Amino acid sequence: MNKERHLSDEEMLLAADGELSTHRAAQVRAHLTECWGCRARMAEIEGTIADFTQAHRQTLDPQLPSITGPRANLRARLSELASHPSARTWHSLFQFSWPLRAGVVCIALFVITIVGKILLDHSVFHRTMSGAISFERGAEPDPKLTPGATRRVALNEVCSMAHEEVVSQVSTPLRQEVFQEYGILNAHPDDYEVDYLIAPGLGGVEDIRNLWPEPSTSKTWNAYVKDALEEHLHRLVCSGDLDLSTAQRDIATDWIAAYKKYFHTNRPLSLHSRLD
Amino acid sequence: MSPADSIDGQPFPSIADAARSGGPSAIEQEVMDLFEQFRTPLLRYAVTFGLSVHDAEEVIQEVFLSLFRHLQLGRSRKNLRGWIFRVAHNLALKQLYATQRSRAKTAPDWTTAEEQLDPSPNPEEQLSLAQKRYRLLSVVDALPAGDQRCLRLRAEGLRYREIATVLGMSLGAVSLSLTRSLARLIRADGR
Repeated sequence: MNKERHLSDEEMLLAADGELSTHRAAQVRAHLTECWGCRARMAEIEGTIADFTQAHRQTLDPQLPSITGPRANLRARLSELASHPSARTWHSLFQFSWPLRAGVVCIALFVITIVGKILLDHSVFHRTMSGAISFERGAEPDPKLTPGATRRVALNEVCSMAHEEVVSQVSTPLRQEVFQEYGILNAHPDDYEVDYLIAPGLGGVEDIRNLWPEPSTSKTWNAYVKDALEEHLHRLVCSGDLDLSTAQRDIATDWIAAYKKYFHTNRPLSLHSRLD
Repeated sequence: MSPADSIDGQPFPSIADAARSGGPSAIEQEVMDLFEQFRTPLLRYAVTFGLSVHDAEEVIQEVFLSLFRHLQLGRSRKNLRGWIFRVAHNLALKQLYATQRSRAKTAPDWTTAEEQLDPSPNPEEQLSLAQKRYRLLSVVDALPAGDQRCLRLRAEGLRYREIATVLGMSLGAVSLSLTRSLARLIRADGR
């Protein structure tokens, strides 16, 4: 490090917070031992962090009630959730108001319609798609094996999911089951991504009816493109621009058609279809 | 001072372990342990959104019920502290919008809190400390919402990448935001 160049506030803060690489941290320490000015500034920064943290806690803590009540409450709620997951779900269905119950029934009807439509259109689909530029073997799931499956889910819950849940990974035992179902033997881990047809971020469940082995090597309609669609639909749903049930129906019926519809394009955008 | 150590890399029981040791109860215990560790920092964070303590407490309960479902489904345990704070952040915002729709926003009651502080032995010191605290917090209240949240998450011991996860920012933006805020605090403190 050039001894003449002083440390910036940002570098000093990163050093104080232990966020620098080992090499850079050693350089910063070496500079500080030689530079009185930077040492004084560093002391100001560390002192201010300590003062603010103390002020933040001491001002708020007196307002906070004891943890005892909330702890007991959470324990009871967890215990209920753990012991009767399905009973609770069924019971809570009938605690909702009429409009919400009607909504649930509508979603259920939608799913039934989607499955029916997929089964009905299956032969037509293959006839119409076989000559189209978008068709790639395995790019879309076999609708008999993977019709899609959802759970009843509140918008609030879907929209509070972290990013990694929206395009979540599938557990290993279930991956093996999916490969078996599709008759794929000795699959190389990099060749396929076992993907959700309806993503968890759109209310899809980790269920064999909602999973299929998507070839990672497809040149156009591959897993990366579908991830981009899932994230886009999730954003539209959470910003209130699209009904969750419409998003579920569109992605389950034909995700490639849905991509074209929502991104207004006939081919995947180049930033979505990356292949390593 | 250094931030609390990240909980990444701690040996969490696997789902298979949980199943062997009586199913969900192992996950329940894990959630309760995390509640013990994070309930107060999360509550402090949620209250600074302008939520009542009662509403904030309910938000935190929802966070840990979501965490239970998250772990029960065998989802990613990577950066779990970041995940917990992110869900709390999103639910607190939703609760805030819901509350704002029904009534005017309630500002956090700094004055009441100031009055409830433990008295220090020396009245002059007490006055000086209270003034200093008031000055610092006034500066923080005047910062843009994003900068305030960055600073408060930092005060709760989150690492920069965890703050970036919670607020959906880049690492560079987190570090710039904190640098900017600290420069203002230092100026206000007349150091």
